[in-house]
Amino acid sequence: MKFLVSFLVLVFAAVAQAISSSGSRLLVILEDVAEKAGYSKFLADLEGRGFDIAYETPKSESLSLFHLGERSYDHILFLPTKSKGLGPNLTPNILLQFINANGNILLTLSSSTATPSSIVSLLLELDIYLPADRQGLVVDHFNYDALSASEKHDVLLLQPPGALRAGVKDFFSDASVIAFPNGMGQTLGEGALLAPVLRAPATGYSYNPKEQTETVDDLFASGSQLSLVSTMQARNSARFTVVGSADMLSDKWFDAKVKKVGEKDTVKTGNQEFAKAISGWAFKETGVLRVNWVEHHLNEEGAGNASNPKIYRIKNDVTYSISLSEYSWDKYIPFTVPESDDLQLEFSMLSAFHRLKLNPTISSADSTTYSSSFKLPDQHGIFNFMVNYKRPFFTNVVEKNTVSVRHFAHDEWPRSFAISGAWPWLAGIGATVTGWLAFCTVWLYSAPAATRESKKTR
Amino acid sequence: MAVATDASSAPMELLVSVGKNQSTKTLLRVLILCFIAAAAVASRLFSVIRFESIIHEFDPWFNFRATKYLVAHGFYDFWNWFDDRTWHPLGRVTGGTLYPGLMVTSGAIYHALRALTVPVDIRNICVLLAPAFSGLTAFAAYLLTNEMTTSSSAGLLAAAFMGITPGYISRSVAGSYDNEAIAIFLLVYTFYLWIKALKVGSVMWGALCALFYGYMVASWGGYAFITCLIPLHAFVLVCMGRFSNRLYVAYNTWYALGTLASMQIPFVGFAPVSTSEHMPALGIFGFLQLVAFLEYVRSAVPSRQFQTFLYVGLGGVFGVALLGLVGLTTGGYIAPWSGRFYSLWDTSYAKIHIPIIASVSEHQPTAWPAFFFDLNMLIWLFPAGVYMCFQKLEDEHVFVIVYALFGSYFAGVMVRLMLTLTPVVCVAAAIAASQLLDTYLVYKSPVAPEAKEEEVTDGTAKKSKQSALRSTSQPVVGIYTLISKGFIAGAMTLFLLIFVQHCTWVTSNAYSSPSVVLASRMPDGSQHIIDDYREAYQWLRQNTKEDAKIMSWWDYGYQIGGMADRPTLVDNNTWNNTHIATVGKAMSSREEVSYPIMRQHEVDYVLVVFGGLLGYSGDDINKFLWMVRIAEGIWPDEVKERDYFTPRGEYRVDSEASETMKNSLMYKMSYYNYCSLFPPGQAQDRVRGVRLPDQGPVLNTLEEAYTSENWIIRIYKVKDLDNVGRDHALAASFDRGNKKKKAGKKRGPRVLRAE
Amino acid sequence: MRWLPALLSFALPFGALAAKKSPSVDRFQEFHTKAVASSPIKLADNSYKKLTSAPRDHSVAVLLTALDARYGCQLCGEFQPEWDVLGKSWVRGDKKGESRIIFGTLDFADGRDTFLSLGLQTAPVLLLFQPTTGPHAVPAADPIRYDFTSGPQSAETVYAWIARHLPDRPHPPIYRPVNYVGWVVTIVSVLGIAGALFKLSPWILPVLQNRNVWAGLSLIGILLFTSGHMFNQIRKVPYVSGNGKGGITYFAGGFQSQFGLETQIVAFIYGLLSFAAISLAIKAPRTRDTKLQQIMVIGWGLVMVITYSFLMSIFRIKNGGYPFKLPPFM
Repeated sequence: MKFLVSFLVLVFAAVAQAISSSGSRLLVILEDVAEKAGYSKFLADLEGRGFDIAYETPKSESLSLFHLGERSYDHILFLPTKSKGLGPNLTPNILLQFINANGNILLTLSSSTATPSSIVSLLLELDIYLPADRQGLVVDHFNYDALSASEKHDVLLLQPPGALRAGVKDFFSDASVIAFPNGMGQTLGEGALLAPVLRAPATGYSYNPKEQTETVDDLFASGSQLSLVSTMQARNSARFTVVGSADMLSDKWFDAKVKKVGEKDTVKTGNQEFAKAISGWAFKETGVLRVNWVEHHLNEEGAGNASNPKIYRIKNDVTYSISLSEYSWDKYIPFTVPESDDLQLEFSMLSAFHRLKLNPTISSADSTTYSSSFKLPDQHGIFNFMVNYKRPFFTNVVEKNTVSVRHFAHDEWPRSFAISGAWPWLAGIGATVTGWLAFCTVWLYSAPAATRESKKTR
Repeated sequence: MAVATDASSAPMELLVSVGKNQSTKTLLRVLILCFIAAAAVASRLFSVIRFESIIHEFDPWFNFRATKYLVAHGFYDFWNWFDDRTWHPLGRVTGGTLYPGLMVTSGAIYHALRALTVPVDIRNICVLLAPAFSGLTAFAAYLLTNEMTTSSSAGLLAAAFMGITPGYISRSVAGSYDNEAIAIFLLVYTFYLWIKALKVGSVMWGALCALFYGYMVASWGGYAFITCLIPLHAFVLVCMGRFSNRLYVAYNTWYALGTLASMQIPFVGFAPVSTSEHMPALGIFGFLQLVAFLEYVRSAVPSRQFQTFLYVGLGGVFGVALLGLVGLTTGGYIAPWSGRFYSLWDTSYAKIHIPIIASVSEHQPTAWPAFFFDLNMLIWLFPAGVYMCFQKLEDEHVFVIVYALFGSYFAGVMVRLMLTLTPVVCVAAAIAASQLLDTYLVYKSPVAPEAKEEEVTDGTAKKSKQSALRSTSQPVVGIYTLISKGFIAGAMTLFLLIFVQHCTWVTSNAYSSPSVVLASRMPDGSQHIIDDYREAYQWLRQNTKEDAKIMSWWDYGYQIGGMADRPTLVDNNTWNNTHIATVGKAMSSREEVSYPIMRQHEVDYVLVVFGGLLGYSGDDINKFLWMVRIAEGIWPDEVKERDYFTPRGEYRVDSEASETMKNSLMYKMSYYNYCSLFPPGQAQDRVRGVRLPDQGPVLNTLEEAYTSENWIIRIYKVKDLDNVGRDHALAASFDRGNKKKKAGKKRGPRVLRAE
Repeated sequence: MRWLPALLSFALPFGALAAKKSPSVDRFQEFHTKAVASSPIKLADNSYKKLTSAPRDHSVAVLLTALDARYGCQLCGEFQPEWDVLGKSWVRGDKKGESRIIFGTLDFADGRDTFLSLGLQTAPVLLLFQPTTGPHAVPAADPIRYDFTSGPQSAETVYAWIARHLPDRPHPPIYRPVNYVGWVVTIVSVLGIAGALFKLSPWILPVLQNRNVWAGLSLIGILLFTSGHMFNQIRKVPYVSGNGKGGITYFAGGFQSQFGLETQIVAFIYGLLSFAAISLAIKAPRTRDTKLQQIMVIGWGLVMVITYSFLMSIFRIKNGGYPFKLPPFM
């Protein structure tokens, strides 16, 4: 059964190749359709990757994210819009519905245009915070571009972010220096679903260009707390990405020459690569994990190796295997766990009885099989084989297979004569039986004696 | 009705047919017994006729499910049955923790009928098993009574009483498919065989007794009653100086074989040699060996002093053995009385230590109306019969007396044990009634003078004067005048008729409703069936996943398993107090506390019973305090019974209710959306008879899934975690449309992200 | 909670004083040495204040009780020995004071002011003061209160409660001294009684072997049990209760309730009925005299009928819907 399913999945994958793993319908929201010229390279890049793009303005009546309760787009790209609100078709609830319906959103902010209120309240729900009254400019007096922003210092030049932490795969670092022109920073809440991609340098900070022109008294955020590009991956693996500066995706900055302050040579920005990486991730072209099949079976000699039985017995030896693939750009490749990270299997009832490392065994062209063998605990009950692999930038893998673990049946215990301790008792039984029989015979054959007795009495 | 005429006229017929040949009598008896059995079965069919052929309240549903499993999978799978659809996620080793007798019996009947090519649904067998066995019970009572008295009518009377007395019908109407259904028959029949073995002193009867004792052990936990009563009988006999080889043979045969037989049941296992309930039997076993030995020595050694010495020694050994038993028990080598059993002696024990036992309604003590309700006139014929057993005090009469005393004590302590009292009441009352009738239904009047001699010869008092009853010192003469005969006979007949009427009335009114379906009267007097339970269970069966875990209070576990066929967390087999306390905690805590518990136990739906709309008093709010108490037993710091009362110590659900009460999950689930039924300010709870606040409770972590027609059953679905990681309160408020304020500022000290 | 401010108000200055005068470590030592001598310590007002004043780095369990007979606090008297057992066995198991807890008893006679300052109306009250400083310190300075709502407590339950509130500290087990005197007394008395019985056996044996005695006893027992005596024992029902207007009601309404007197009446009725049956079945046929027998039969028969109808009428009180009745009590 599982094999069949996984086969079908494979077929679909084959059909859906060369585009995102979750559909190709991309909606771009912008103030005026004419504005797309400014992002032509970025959009052409997306189209080149197989997305068919629809352009809408927030106000248009034809715009609706759902048709008969089904998503009518797979991804949304928000480019900055002047309007204060986004109209009735893009209320926060609808956008949240879109996320819950497993749609991906790539949101771009800009310090020059105020962020729409519905976007702000959506971000609040996601525990992402923007500067007060949607005004904020990120500056850094030590890492700015000396050519374009020599006095405003609002074009940050950043090194590729690198891995978020040890054991997390890095998707975004194949760019050279990244230019971050007049962007708006965000701060992230404590949620585990949130992960920053690009953070401001230690000396960067965000201030309100309208009010705090002279002195910055109340700082919104600074340093690594100020996230410039941040991501949120929902429990259903829908992805929501915030890019602090829309301009960094524009043609102007794709092929701009920048010169970091204090340095001699001017270099070309790596924005195009970074844009590819971030959009590819946002639209589920990278970092998508797929479970091809899960299988567990008895691992004892003599036992029939039926696959995925519903019930085991305590102290059985079992083997559990799971086959995983990772989608990168246009095809599925074998998934390899990042070093210093483990793929773990839990065998749990209420709490985990076993927590084991799954080791790669078979590796095929597009999948790796991880498996582990162990002995079931001496406790009957309803257990779960649980693989719960949730890492930043990877889609969530939660595989729960429920099995019952029964007790020993009445004929599965060792026989009494096999237990040396029972021999005295067995001997006792034998002795009793023979003694009884002997007594009976003696009794029967001593009948004449009985008559003599009676004579005597007489 | 038929029973009455049979029962009361049976002696008359017999007396009239005195002098006719034996075969007529036998034919009459067989006929009467058949009528009695028919009446016994018939009077138990009210529930089927009124409602339908349905399994009744709670435990029967489990027995029914187990029987279906047995029939479907065969005996060995049943024997090793691991049930993964109850007590989720612990599961239950059902094959090893139940008394298989009932299921095996009906399974055997099923297969037998199949073999006879009689296609019959297993459900009908289960429904009609109890009535069928009630007929057998009547027959067993007949046999037992015939062992007690020479009067030929007593047995038939006893059979009639046993057949229709409500005390036994209460547990054996059609559809109450419970262990008692067959256990009572086995109880009476085992006692009959015991008496038989004791009188005859033969190994065969003793072995038969042991056999049926084994069957009894396989059928009902109440076998401990036999296990304690027979040794007691033997002990009393020895103390009365009535030790005999018959007693020795009967008891040893019964004990040795019976104990072996009982140890074959996995649920009993080694209890017969390791728990206190069984120690009397063991002790008396050893005691009898001693006594037998001493008897032998006594017969061998003539000297008087030596005998007294021996008896003193015997007493000493007995005392030492008793002390040793106490020592072993305190030392923990022998398990002390199990809770249920112990609470029979120390009546305040359960209330303090085992709230689960105390919470069961049938473990409450018995008020006197219950006795009269269940036994009617037998309750006062009973002492008379016991007194008459003192007339010629044979061994079997001693048994009746001992049984009567202990049976009435237990019945007084626990309502359900009325069941074990009923047989002896029937027997004793039959002895009394038959003696009355035999005396006053004699047609020929005695003539005073020459009546004496032959009367004296068969006069009842054969014992020496000082030990005989004072009332039986004179020889029996007989009744002279026809008036007195007519008067008493008429009165007795009248009483018997009333008895039959009473039994029929009680059976039809009190004991024939399957508490699954509630019956109520319409204003115009017509009957209206309230079928919410089955409605809700059917909804579960049709609208939820095959393995959706249902959390409810344990009372409904068996029904959910049987009718809805869904896994439950706890059920009426209350083997794991902690698990029940966990459910109690989840029910009685705030949502924020309950939700993790329900997630951990993979609960999908929560089911509560709410009678507020209909005035159905047996609902969960009324049981709520028990949930709190049981939870408090395990988590004294987190759940406190006192918090559920108002400062003035009242248990209220209206606007005065304590905060803990209002925030408890049970309260919220019961009254969620309830006030929307009424015009504002009119919301009212018809059970508690209070007016509810207009602002109903708010549920964040649950959503209402189903509510039955009369709101008796309410089912809630447990929400999944929020998709974007908010807590449920926030998510709910966002869905209600009020935007979250810009929390960034007013979060006080800003939380810094580690990464 | 209303006694909390009062407590703090006087506790604080003392705490400051104590802290100034002597670091609370040796305050604990001082009290602990007393405790080793005799625990629980008998406290008075000032010693109580000194012991419980904050800051403290030790726990204090104080039982505020009123042992004097004048106050008639029965619960206090019942709980006191248990409390002493607990205090003794704790100190006995923890001589070096590693658990850093002091058991104290404050009697109302010695600690009137404390009772007043705490605004206590009832006794006994068990207060557990958690340390405010040191390794086991807890944020809340106010003591935890143990409620005796559920009747007299055993040392074990209180021990469990205290042990729960003192995590990661040694909990010396409860040790109950064996009462040798009691054993001796019981053994001697048992032997004495046995001897007496042996001596008196010529007089006792006939009584023991008399069948009438046994018959009477067993009948009485059966009548007791079947008339709901155990229910009275367990539920502790009232003997009788007055109806609204001065009179008394003999029969409790309702199927599941009864009065003490009621059960006795019922038992009497049962006895009467069965005695009637007995005499009709056994006595009457043994009377030689025709007239006497006639009267006897009619009399007992009437008694039987009338009493039974009365019983039914009583039962109709208990169970409203009961349809059957007999003359004369319709």
